Amino acid sequence: MVILESGYAFWNPIIWVIALATVMILALYFRSRGQKNYKKGTAQTKIFLCGEDVPEPELGHIKASNVYWGFLETLKDYYYAILKPQTGIINDLALWFVLLLAIGAIVILATGAGAVAK
Amino acid sequence: MPIAGMINSKLRNTIAIAGLLFTEFLVVVLARDIYLNGLHMYTLGASSPEITTPAKFIFPVRIILEVDSMNIFMALISSTIALIAAIYSMASMKKETGQDKFYFLTLLLVSGMLGMEMTGDIFNMFVFLEIASISGGALVAFRTRYADSPEGGLKYIVVSAIAGLMVLFAIGLLYSQYDLLNIAALANAIQYTTLDKIALALLAMAFLMKLGSVPMHMWLPDAYSVAPTAITVILLANSQASMYALFRTCFSLFGLTMNVNTLGWMLIILGVLSMFIGVTMAVLQRDIKRLIAYNCICESGFMLLGVGVGLAVLDNPTALATYGFQAMTGGIFHMVNHALFEGLLFLAAGVIFHRIGTRNLNEMGGLGHGLKFTAVLFLLGAFASSGLPPLNGFASKILIYESVYHFNPVLAIIAVIVSIITLAIFVKVFFSAFTGQMLPKFKEIKEAPKPMMISMTILSGIIILFGLFPGIVVDWLAHPAVNALINQASYINAIIGGR
Repeated sequence: MVILESGYAFWNPIIWVIALATVMILALYFRSRGQKNYKKGTAQTKIFLCGEDVPEPELGHIKASNVYWGFLETLKDYYYAILKPQTGIINDLALWFVLLLAIGAIVILATGAGAVAK
Repeated sequence: MPIAGMINSKLRNTIAIAGLLFTEFLVVVLARDIYLNGLHMYTLGASSPEITTPAKFIFPVRIILEVDSMNIFMALISSTIALIAAIYSMASMKKETGQDKFYFLTLLLVSGMLGMEMTGDIFNMFVFLEIASISGGALVAFRTRYADSPEGGLKYIVVSAIAGLMVLFAIGLLYSQYDLLNIAALANAIQYTTLDKIALALLAMAFLMKLGSVPMHMWLPDAYSVAPTAITVILLANSQASMYALFRTCFSLFGLTMNVNTLGWMLIILGVLSMFIGVTMAVLQRDIKRLIAYNCICESGFMLLGVGVGLAVLDNPTALATYGFQAMTGGIFHMVNHALFEGLLFLAAGVIFHRIGTRNLNEMGGLGHGLKFTAVLFLLGAFASSGLPPLNGFASKILIYESVYHFNPVLAIIAVIVSIITLAIFVKVFFSAFTGQMLPKFKEIKEAPKPMMISMTILSGIIILFGLFPGIVVDWLAHPAVNALINQASYINAIIGGR
C-alpha cells in the first residue's frame, strides 16, 4: 500500500518523509546553535532597508500583478498571441468548437479504421 | 427541499447532507461489492436485470444502469466531493437567499453527475448530461447580485447546450444505423462506418469542450470563478464526469474498431496544449478563483496526456504492457487527485472570499496572520497540485512522467516544466495573499467557520493519505478502472451476456 511501482522504478513516500524529517531536525539543530545574545527591540532586531524607513504594510507589500513581471515581459509576444483569441465572447468559443470539430472529423475520416474493424 | 426549507432551514440542510451521506455510503458499499464480484447491472422497470432484450424487441428498450470498476471510481469521486462541498456550503451559503433552490439544484446536479457515470445507455447519458448542465448553469448564476455571475451562468449553459446537442446528434447517427442505445450493445454491433466516424468526432469534441480542454476552455474560468465555491468544487467533479464519458466513448464504445493511434494522439495534443496554455494563463491571473480554474485546465491536460498515451498504444499489446497501462493508471489516478487538491484550493479561496469579500489578489496581503489554518491547507493543496512529494499529486504525476517518457520523451519534459510553472503560480498566490505584514484593513479577520474548516480538513486528510499510501488507490481503484476501460470485450460480454 505504501510502495508505488511504476514499472521502471518505485516510489516509497515513507522513506521520503523520514529523510525530510531528518533534514528538518538537522536544520533546527543548526538554527538552535546560532547567536542568542542579541537585544530584542533594539536596532539589532529592526528591519534594515539600506538605511531607509521601512514602509507601511500597504506600501511594502508587493501586489500579485507585479509578481513575475520579468517572466511576463519576456514572454509578452507569446501572451499577446494566446490572449488574442480569448475574447470571452461566446460566439468565438462556439467557432473554436466548430473548428476543432471540423479538424477532428477530417482527421478521423482520413485515417481509416482500427485493428478490429468489422 | 423547498418543503423542508419552509419548516426549518436546519431541517433542509440536514436532509441535504444526510442524503449525500447516504449516497456516499451506498457508493462505498457498491464499490466494495464490485471490487469483490465485478460488474453490476440494474435494469430500471424490469423484474430482473437479465431481461434486457425482450424477444419482441430487437434492442434493449430499458434504461440500464451498469457499474464496473471505472464507473464506481468516478462515482466515488463525485459522491465524496459533493458531500464535502455540501458541508462547506452550510457556512458559505448561510447568508444567501434562496437556499431551498440552491440545495435542490445541488442535489439535481449530483444526480445528473452520478447518472452520467453509472448509466450503460448512451441516450440516458445524454439525459443525465442535460440534467447536470441545466442545474449547473443555474447554480453558476446563483448569486445574481454579482454582475459576472449571470454571465458565467449563461456561458456555462450555452456551452453545455452546444455539447448536449452534438452528443444528441451523434446518438442519432448511431441509433439510425444500429437501432441501439445501449453502449455495450452498440460496441458489439458497431461497424465504424463514415457515420460512426462523424459520431465519434462529435462525441469526442463535445465531451472535450465540456471538460474544458484547450482551445474550448474559455468558458471554464468564467463559470468556475463566479459560481458559489461549493458549486465550483462540484462542477470540478462534473467536468470529470465529462472526461469519463469521453474515455467510455473511446475505449468501451469504439475501442479497437477505430484508429486508436489517431484519437490517442488527438487527446495527447489537446492534453499538452491544455497543460501548457492552462498554466501559462494562470500566471497572468489576479482573480484567485480564475487562477485556480486555469490550473484545473492544466491538470485536465495531465489526465488527457496519460490516458491518451494508453489509447494510442491500445492496439499494441507490448507497448500497452510496457508503458501504456501505467500511463493510463497515472491519468486515472490523477483524476481523483485533481478533484481533491483543486477542491481544497477552491475551498481555501472560498474562505478568503467569504472573509474579505474579494477574489482580487492585488487587494490581499498578510492574510496568513488571521487565516493560519486556511493558509496551511492552501499550501498543502498547492504542493499537491504542483506534484511535490510526498503528496498525492506527485504519486500520479510520477506515473505519468515515467510512462510518457517511454512513449515520447518530449511530452514528459513538457509535463515536468508545466509542474514547475504550477508551483510558481501558487508561490505567487501564497506570497501575495498570505505572506507579508498584516494589512490594517484585515486586522479583524477571523478563521473560517467550522463547516468550512471541516470540509477542508477532510480533503487535506485524504490528500495526505493518498500521498503516503498511493498503493491504496492504484491497486484497489485505478488498476481495476484501467482494466475496465481497456478490456472492451469483457465489458460487452458482461452486459450483453446479461450477467
